[in-house]
Amino acid sequence: MSCIETKSLSKSYGVINAVDDIDLSVNNGKIFGFLGPNGAGKTTTIKLLTTLIPPTAGTMKILGIDAIRSPLEVRKKIGVVLQQPSYEPTLSVEKSLEKYGMMWNVERKLRQDRVEELLLSFDLAELRNIKNDELSIGQRRRVQVAREFMHDMNLLFLDEPTVGLDPSARRGLLDFIKDKAKDGLTVFFTTHLLNEAEYICNEVAIINKGKIIAVDSPEELKNKFGREKTIKIHLDTIRKDLSDLLIGIKDYELDFNSGTNITIRSNDSEEVLLKILQILTANNIVIEDLSAIPTSLEEIFLSVVNKSNASSN
Amino acid sequence: MHPVIRLVNRNLTISLNKGFMIWQVIFPLIYIFVGGFAYTALIDSVSYGNKTLGYPAYIASGMIGFNIMNSALVSGIIIWNDRRHGMFEQILVGPFTRTHYILSNVYTIGIIGLISATLITAVGYPLFFESVEFNFLTMPLLVFASVVGSILFGSIASIISTRLKSSEGFNVVINTVFLFFAFVSTAFYPAEGSPVPLSIAFYFNPLTYLVDVVRAGIFGNFDTFVAIEMLVLVTLTLTLFSIATKLLAKLEL
Repeated sequence: MSCIETKSLSKSYGVINAVDDIDLSVNNGKIFGFLGPNGAGKTTTIKLLTTLIPPTAGTMKILGIDAIRSPLEVRKKIGVVLQQPSYEPTLSVEKSLEKYGMMWNVERKLRQDRVEELLLSFDLAELRNIKNDELSIGQRRRVQVAREFMHDMNLLFLDEPTVGLDPSARRGLLDFIKDKAKDGLTVFFTTHLLNEAEYICNEVAIINKGKIIAVDSPEELKNKFGREKTIKIHLDTIRKDLSDLLIGIKDYELDFNSGTNITIRSNDSEEVLLKILQILTANNIVIEDLSAIPTSLEEIFLSVVNKSNASSN
Repeated sequence: MHPVIRLVNRNLTISLNKGFMIWQVIFPLIYIFVGGFAYTALIDSVSYGNKTLGYPAYIASGMIGFNIMNSALVSGIIIWNDRRHGMFEQILVGPFTRTHYILSNVYTIGIIGLISATLITAVGYPLFFESVEFNFLTMPLLVFASVVGSILFGSIASIISTRLKSSEGFNVVINTVFLFFAFVSTAFYPAEGSPVPLSIAFYFNPLTYLVDVVRAGIFGNFDTFVAIEMLVLVTLTLTLFSIATKLLAKLEL
């Protein structure tokens, strides 16, 4: 069953289409990554889906509820961590978690249990009596994310939740979210860090200039768009004559950083590699190292966005 | 628990900190007990209706209105802080509507106004008890002043907080406006005997009307003029509250 279902969803500000006719379908219990360059429309989409702003056109159903007609009913069932920081400067970490639970009408005993649980899970126990105003940006972000787990929800929106977190806190948060998803929570997740999306998401959509340009699992996206592979050959010696020897071969680059490096980037990398290896062998050139770099979501993202930009231009 | 009550609970928790309590209690006490007695060297007594009040009694009653106004600043500060620290949006993606948010602010300032007025009445009582004339209107007039005054000044603070973006701008404007309200009013000195332009200016200030109602409650001189002042306060409060509500409802996210 779809947790989020949008049809021709659009949001315009004057002549600018921040979100342009998007159709989305996010299934229950999935972590759905929403990727895109700056200004692509990610945050506007989240604001629409969380009913913070109304759409200019289109329909959206969140958890089976018409979000345009009954926004409050939707908001009662979702959790949202917005991109911008939000905190009560005068409250301590512990008090802000507790009060947030109270705002969500969580029963007192349950609230106290959850506060203790989250202080531990988010490594905040030592900061429990520190006021939010005195926390670092990363610590405040941890409180902001932890706070959202004070209440029950069926769907969680996370708008770049790891901004400002150190690598260990980031990994901790991603694992925490993964565990929650295993328990059935659906997560709508935006990030700039594509390795994060690759690590955590079951499905990703790429948005550019307000339009969805690709939707699939990270693996399927790699299969569809990631045919181009990168292979690197390293030679110990500097062989400036290589460009003459490799004449006629396409899709490779040469550089002479600590020896000679040949980088092949092609949809037919293996074929190019074979040709180069034949030439190197024929000229008695010894290969020091050879490596193939797997296609990352980041490369696919850049490739898809660049293609989209080129076609819209 | 109703969403508005939950928000009021949250508002009171974030507002009632040490700094605010000092602002609410110490300042008026200094005005009443230091200013009030020190100025008796210059102002021996003040004619008020058919009574003659000592200056400490006069200023203590004025401080009730002054404190109601000050407590209403909370409304502006809550909205300002919520916008600045991202809580306004966070609340609106939670189980609340803008109406819940607006109502919670009204109730919060109403509660703080009432507590504040009670506190200063209790503290100032030893100074004006000799002139007090309790009657069936005393308490209703004090409650009226606390609630209407809080909403009125709360609306002004809210309007300012929705219009200004920088914290410097907010502080300068709010302090200037409230300084004008405090000192161009009858909270500290009577209109009678002041230079004519100033005594006219006093009546362009809602704090004057508020203080007059408080004094009418405490000293028992309710008359037609006070009734008209109450009517002006209600009209002004309704107008400013509508404007504040509209601005809050339109606040962009």
